[in-house]
Amino acid sequence: MRTDQPLLRRTDSASTRSFSEPDRPSVIIVDDDPSVQEALSELILSASLKPVCFASTQELLDAGVLDSPGCLILDVRMPGSSGLDLQRYLAQSGFPKPIVFLTGHADIPMTVQAMKAGAVDFLTKPVRDQTLLDAVNAAIAMDTARRAKAAVVERNVDRLNTLTPREREVSHEVARGRLNKQIAFDLGISEVTVKLHRGNAMRKMQAGSIGELIRMWESLPARMQDGTAN
Amino acid sequence: MWTQTLFQYRLALAIGASAAGVAVSWMTATPIGLVAPVAAIFLFARGGAVAVLFSVLAIALAGLVIATSFNLGGFRDLTLTWAGFFVVALCIGAIVAVSATPGADDHQTAIRPTAQKVAPSYPVTGPTPEEKAAPRQSPIVSINAQDDEITAELMLAASFWGGSPFHLRYWRNEPNGNCRWTEVRTEAFHEQNGIRQWASVSADLHGQRSEVPLPAKTASSPPVDDDAVIAAKFVEQLLGNAWAFDRSGRPTYLTPFAQAFVSVTLDEFQAAADEGLSFFRRTSHPDEYDHIDAAWRHSLRTGDPFYIERRIRRASGIFDWNRTAIVPTRDGHGRVTGWYGASMDLDAYRVAELALRERERELSQLVDMVPSHLWRLTPDGEPVFYSKRMVEYLGQDVADADERCIGRLEALIEAIHPDDAAKFRSVLDRCLLTGKAFSMQYRLRRADGIYRWMSSRAEPMRDQDGRIVHWYGLCHDIDDQMQAEAAIRQRERSLRQLVETLPALIYCATPGGEPIYRSQTLQDFLGLGLEETDETDETGRPRLAGTLDAIIHPDDLLTVKERYGQSLSTGEPYALRHRLRRFDGEYRWVETRAAAMRDPDGVIAQWNGVCLEIEDQVRAEEELRQVHDRLARASQAASLAELSASIAHEVNQPLAAIVANSHACHRWLSAEPANVERAKITAERIIRDANSAADVVSRIRALFKRSTESRSATSYSDIIAEARQVMADEFVRHSIHLDIEVANDLPLVKLDRVQIQQVLINLIRNGIEATDSNSGEKVLRIRVLRDEDVIRTEICDRGRGIACPERIFEPFYTTKDRGMGMGLAICRSIVESHGGRLWAQSNEPIGTTFSFTLPIEAKAV
Amino acid sequence: MTANEHIVFIVDDDARLREALIELLASHGMNAAAFGSAGEYVRADKPNMPACLILDVELPDINGLDLQRQIVEGDHPPIVFVTGHGDIPSSVRAIKHGAVDFLTKPFNDAELMAAIHAALDQDRERRAELAELNELRQRYLRLTPREREVLALVVSGLLNKQAAAELGISEVTLQIHRRNTMQKMEAASLADLVRMAERLEIPITHSRRAGGERT
Repeated sequence: MRTDQPLLRRTDSASTRSFSEPDRPSVIIVDDDPSVQEALSELILSASLKPVCFASTQELLDAGVLDSPGCLILDVRMPGSSGLDLQRYLAQSGFPKPIVFLTGHADIPMTVQAMKAGAVDFLTKPVRDQTLLDAVNAAIAMDTARRAKAAVVERNVDRLNTLTPREREVSHEVARGRLNKQIAFDLGISEVTVKLHRGNAMRKMQAGSIGELIRMWESLPARMQDGTAN
Repeated sequence: MWTQTLFQYRLALAIGASAAGVAVSWMTATPIGLVAPVAAIFLFARGGAVAVLFSVLAIALAGLVIATSFNLGGFRDLTLTWAGFFVVALCIGAIVAVSATPGADDHQTAIRPTAQKVAPSYPVTGPTPEEKAAPRQSPIVSINAQDDEITAELMLAASFWGGSPFHLRYWRNEPNGNCRWTEVRTEAFHEQNGIRQWASVSADLHGQRSEVPLPAKTASSPPVDDDAVIAAKFVEQLLGNAWAFDRSGRPTYLTPFAQAFVSVTLDEFQAAADEGLSFFRRTSHPDEYDHIDAAWRHSLRTGDPFYIERRIRRASGIFDWNRTAIVPTRDGHGRVTGWYGASMDLDAYRVAELALRERERELSQLVDMVPSHLWRLTPDGEPVFYSKRMVEYLGQDVADADERCIGRLEALIEAIHPDDAAKFRSVLDRCLLTGKAFSMQYRLRRADGIYRWMSSRAEPMRDQDGRIVHWYGLCHDIDDQMQAEAAIRQRERSLRQLVETLPALIYCATPGGEPIYRSQTLQDFLGLGLEETDETDETGRPRLAGTLDAIIHPDDLLTVKERYGQSLSTGEPYALRHRLRRFDGEYRWVETRAAAMRDPDGVIAQWNGVCLEIEDQVRAEEELRQVHDRLARASQAASLAELSASIAHEVNQPLAAIVANSHACHRWLSAEPANVERAKITAERIIRDANSAADVVSRIRALFKRSTESRSATSYSDIIAEARQVMADEFVRHSIHLDIEVANDLPLVKLDRVQIQQVLINLIRNGIEATDSNSGEKVLRIRVLRDEDVIRTEICDRGRGIACPERIFEPFYTTKDRGMGMGLAICRSIVESHGGRLWAQSNEPIGTTFSFTLPIEAKAV
Repeated sequence: MTANEHIVFIVDDDARLREALIELLASHGMNAAAFGSAGEYVRADKPNMPACLILDVELPDINGLDLQRQIVEGDHPPIVFVTGHGDIPSSVRAIKHGAVDFLTKPFNDAELMAAIHAALDQDRERRAELAELNELRQRYLRLTPREREVLALVVSGLLNKQAAAELGISEVTLQIHRRNTMQKMEAASLADLVRMAERLEIPITHSRRAGGERT
């Protein structure tokens, strides 16, 4: 790891930058060694990416940037909590930011755990610039893809939320594959009403076909799939 | 004149007259006209024909007379006429016959020697057989007159020796006492082998003799009272030839010899004179004629004696030098009455003179062309001759000194370089005095002022009494040579200087190695020169050995002697690093290199060597080596990290098994019901694996504990024997036959006994294990042999073989069920630290051979 | 295939460890088969049952990770790597390429068993899924070409009318085809069929709405 980098505190500018450009993926660096932060920031900048540095996990959490697009570069051993813990926390909290671990001291069990838990890569210091950049880029790509997916889901959810409860019910039944007749029977409404509701629902969900509707329905988070409003 | 003309046409005339006569006869019907043809027949008939004609006529006449006497009537006039005719014819015949005898009338034609267009036919005579048989001195036989004989002999002699034709008419004495006028012609012709042969013809001229003076005029022929002739005869008696002329210069007498000499007769000479040509015309060289003629006329006019040397044409056509002297005879009043003289052949004299002159010219040319100075001195030392070259060089000749009024020798010494002049003078004086040869080198000034070195030698020429007549000297330019020598000397000096100033210690030795030269630097270094170690030193050792002992470090002495000796004997260049003792007793590292210097035949003439001080270099290398060692140790530490990882891995292996087994054991025991059997088995395995783990650890420790200090020269065969003993029962236990072959002449090797035994045992054990697993022939083969400068040990098994012959030497690699894989790695490191190699090769068809080498001696520095 | 059928493959060049592992697995009541090299394992006939592979990284003939890369293409049991001296890059690589776990020797019992179980479960799942997919594929293969066409159109969301028009057949015919398809595919509902189509990766060619969104 490069330790011969000049000491320049770019953190602030980097941070401000990150806030002013919410859409650009940022690479969040968490390391208590300023020179390391420095070096990594340089490297990330050289790849035309946006580095954001924090000295500890707590700082990171306090900053509340976990929703932002990008990835994380973590060390396993940090003041406060370990990188693995953070990884677990993030997974649990629903911040699925991809993590690239970079550490000077690791053993295999730790590595394996981190990887099993979904880390994009686990690198040991000293690391070649290119290796780190490759991992970062892979992480960002993953993040972007996931976000895109999530966006779709969110859109679906939003649309779902525009449905009336009845429409929702009907949709649910349709997604299950039941025929209009059957739905009418189950819900105790007329078939015509069913059709009406179905049509509205389809319209609101912007589903072009039953197939689409079914797919959309399946992409919803599980808790929303039961047809009842959450 | 007119008779001559008639004579030429006589035949025609005769025929014409005859014809006319016949015509007349016919016309007149009388035999009158027949007189003409009869007369012609008598004239032209010869010898026997005449007699026949006479006979015919006589018979005819007799017949007619008889006829007349018988008086046969009317034929009487006719017979009378015819009888009368026959009588007249007979008379004519008689008259003609009479006129043929000597003293005949001048219808006889004279034979002129110069106009012989028609060859007359003569009865050819020669010596009669009686004459031939008679012994005689002269080839001339029976010449009538005494004079003739002498003349003829002279002429013959002249002809014989001169090769000119011999032509003589003479009176020949016949055996019957008659004389016949005879002509003889003799000419020479050359046979192919160069021998002259003579052909001779004699002709009887008796019928043609005339009173006209004959060609070979004898002494009696000329006017006997002519003064000139008399004088000429006197001269002739002295010299053999003489001439006489009358007052006008017309030759009157000429000896036959002279005539023969030039093959011109007196007549011809006279004829020439008559024609107005000078007597000398015919015989003189065309170039000289005018000059001679003028002189002769002058003499004739003035009465001055005529002396001339001229070329005279001989009968053979060759011109010879001749001196002619003709003086006048005078009467009592002093008037010239005639001339007489003689010629002498100057040819030989001339030729000799010419040859002499030619030789003289050649000699002088030789003297002038020789590229040295030739000079001659009088016995007093005065120069009398300088050769042309010398004159050119000096710019002065011998005589020039005279003009300057200084002694000639002084003039010469002037030209000698001032530094050499005095010596020259003294040396020359001594030589002149003692008569010993002179030899000296000095500088001589050239005409342009440049001095050049000369080498001069002179020797005296003595006469019969031993007195010195002249001194003859040769002076030879050696300036270029001197310059060259000086240059060589200079170069030699500078080379020597070079050798002396080079920062190397240089020496030369004989082909036997004895030092013959040490450069100054070497002498200074050693503190001793060559003289100090004389042929044998105090202990009686020869110079070379003594020297080496004195100056080579004791530790290196053996090697030096051996190597040097080897080089001396093979002629190979010598190079060695060793320590040399300096003058102050300290030993310094030097690198000595020597090479042989050979003559054109390739034989070693001398060894030339150089010692370079490399003390500093050696020190530096030593330091470097130490640094390397330190570095190696440091890097050893670095690789330790890697090694520890390997070790950890290696230890983990048995540990993993142990842990797994432990878990298993625990489970068996925890099962319901407890499976004690399995638990036991598991527990045993735990123990076993734990032990092997412990083994690993100890072996690792051993790997790092090895040291290199305990090496000593050991008998390798002893070690083999010991190893064999140690492994003996293992062989027995596994029923393996050991086939061992150890070379006899193994030298001592410096090695760590324990370590090498470790290697051997390890390899043997591996071999045993490999062979053990083999179902076939159970043989383990060990061979130990010397391979140039290493001892090679080979252990061959017929086991399974190994797939990766290189990998097995890696630490912690093993193909065995048990064993850690350290053994071979350790073995290799032991072997390599001894300077050898350890490797494995697969055998065909099965098995493996492990080979390792151990160097016999540490490489000499 | 019974529920608990399984086989644990062990590939390690250390015989001791093979021995011990078999023992350990036996004590857990699990079946194991051991091989000394990758080649041996690859060449061996393997039973068709849920399996997992305990693979040593340092094998004599090939690196375990390379073997992983080789067999990952095909049908292979999940891998649990074991190693005597592992390094982090190896472990990362192993997990990235889908290994269930990466254990260092000596490993403890619990770890190992957990990994094995996880692997076996994973394998079971995979097999099940594979079986399902195969089943679907089989069903699909039973469809006639026309029926396949119909399927594609129907799951795209086209109404019967539209689909029939598209195919140039009568609606009635279409409905017949549709019914047959659903039967053959054993789809209970349109939703089912849609899901099946998705799983079979049948391309969706149409949407009722031009430029409609795809999900």
